[in-house]
Amino acid sequence: MRAHPLAEDDLGADTVLFCRALRERGLLVTPSEAIDAVATLGLIDLDDRQETFLSLRSVLTSRIEDFPVFEELFEGFWDRLGRSPQPRKVVEREDLSTSVRLSSHDHGRKGLAFFLEHWGTGESRAAEPINLPGASDVESAAEKDFCSFGADELEEISRLARRIAKRLARNPSRRWKPAGRGSRVDLRQTLRRSLRTGGELVELSFKQRRQKKTRLVVICDVSGSMDLYSQVLLQFVYGLQNSFARVETFVFSTSLKRITGHLRDKTYKHALERLGTNVRGWSGGTLIGPSINALNSGWPKFIDKGAIVIILSDGWDTGEPEDLGTALADLKRRAGKLIWLNPLLGSPSYQPLVRGMQAALPHIDVFAPLHNLASLRALERHLVL
Amino acid sequence: MREEVRNIQELLRRQAYVTDPAVATSVYLAMALGKPLLVEGPAGVGKTEIAKSLAEALDARLVRLQCYEGLDATTAIYEWNYPKQLLHIKLQELAAASSAEKEAEIFGESFLMKRPLLEAITDQTSSPVLLIDEVDRSDEEFEAFLLEILSEFQVTIPEIGPIKAIHRPYAVLTSNRSRELSDALRRRCLYLWIDYPSFEKELEIVRAKVPAIGEALSAELTRLIQAVRKLNLAKVPGVAETLDWASALVVLNTSQLDQDVIAETAGCFLKDEADLRKFEAELSAGLLKK
Repeated sequence: MRAHPLAEDDLGADTVLFCRALRERGLLVTPSEAIDAVATLGLIDLDDRQETFLSLRSVLTSRIEDFPVFEELFEGFWDRLGRSPQPRKVVEREDLSTSVRLSSHDHGRKGLAFFLEHWGTGESRAAEPINLPGASDVESAAEKDFCSFGADELEEISRLARRIAKRLARNPSRRWKPAGRGSRVDLRQTLRRSLRTGGELVELSFKQRRQKKTRLVVICDVSGSMDLYSQVLLQFVYGLQNSFARVETFVFSTSLKRITGHLRDKTYKHALERLGTNVRGWSGGTLIGPSINALNSGWPKFIDKGAIVIILSDGWDTGEPEDLGTALADLKRRAGKLIWLNPLLGSPSYQPLVRGMQAALPHIDVFAPLHNLASLRALERHLVL
Repeated sequence: MREEVRNIQELLRRQAYVTDPAVATSVYLAMALGKPLLVEGPAGVGKTEIAKSLAEALDARLVRLQCYEGLDATTAIYEWNYPKQLLHIKLQELAAASSAEKEAEIFGESFLMKRPLLEAITDQTSSPVLLIDEVDRSDEEFEAFLLEILSEFQVTIPEIGPIKAIHRPYAVLTSNRSRELSDALRRRCLYLWIDYPSFEKELEIVRAKVPAIGEALSAELTRLIQAVRKLNLAKVPGVAETLDWASALVVLNTSQLDQDVIAETAGCFLKDEADLRKFEAELSAGLLKK
């Protein structure tokens, strides 16, 4: 064992620093894990690099996604362990944490923060009239294509969103809760109450199914080809989000951004203004696969079996179809239901021949059009788990 | 390597469980630190097997809880024995006891039906191995029940109070990552990721578990399985499938793999129609040779 008495304190301090560095890089390392890590070092052979590595990895990581960061930082930790056990200077000790702090900062900047900063610089695209095949000849309100919607008609969309939200909140769960009247007798409660009457069963207690906490995750394509639809769809999502708490909203074109917070504004106009400065002009290609990957890895807690994921996109993807396929397969594995809404599908002549759409189809539970109010209403029945 | 780690590796090997240092180290630490071990990895790589082999190696009882959606406290922890309670109340009707006394009686331990988790922490003789299998299949509400058990090794029953483990169970949780587990649960566990084994390790496993198989055949079969895993299939065959296939080949008295034998027995390791078709196409194209 390398840790002879003189170095013991040092070892502890190094370990704590190592833990702090891991925490700053997003690992679930709290003081209690740090204590475990120090305890672990007393239980293993510190001369064996592999054993030290495997042990600390077991204690300090909690998912496989943590492994690369752990490997990277373990290098530094091991180097420090390997040095002569003289007391080290305080400055030097600080090195590890500051350098890590910097690099983690840089790391973040490469991601979304970087994009956010550069959004404003893009050119703002005016909504040019585009002839979309979804446009129908019959101009009744329900079948009117969204791309020709006026502001007053948007109100109808909000109404529909609220109705769907209500429905979502009514999903029954497999779990029970006590109820005044219910479908089943709650034996435990009944017995307890029978004691008040000396063990005679006078009153029955009931239980009923609890409400299932369904979550909705909406991913909206805001790239150029979707311009006319995405506005309407965002209006819909805004309506949903304001009457149903468990909605998460993301937008993407070449990268993904979470806009749940933006949509929490009191009026849609405000929300849109705040969004507009961010989202518009953010065109120049669509990378659906990487965007969905970003969701898978960046917000894994939103995607579980209680989540319905809705992707709103026409499937025009400038990325590799294989990427989209694997990203969707991963998403599908975790989510309760995967719905893809494609405005182009409203056209009778449309065939999902776009390469991206082809790669996506095997992983989708529901593939439906979304180009007019009728299709929005049809969506309602799919929103159950 | 620490003596203890090597011992564990040796103990598991004696149960025909082929380990690597990562598995042995994690199991050792879980036992030494008294923490549960969360094992993640693709289906069929031997996650559950760890707990089983550990129980056999330690000669301990294996308490298994298979998780599923909707699993709740009454099936996982405990339930009151209602018919017994009712009968007891009837029998005691004429007794002079007050209702408070009666209540204390029927909510006593003898009216408690222990489910796996309570079973595991009330073992009177020694530490059992508690296997919480496929915890990702349970829902988030159930995870909350697990937290108390896995950090304090105790169960709180409102009518009785906390029941603390006399012998701490060795807890092993497995997950296929069909959903993301909560951070709270992850934090309470040591973490181990098991991937598909390397060729050498898988070959060792095949020879340990299906000793009747010949040297040449086992190598051929393992090499093919390793190639199949690279095919981008919907259901990638795990080690369990490799072993199924090996056993099938032994039963069929196969001494050598050829196109026909492979095509006839591919159902042992491919469980998906589309995968089978894809595999057959690759096979006839000769892509899997070597």
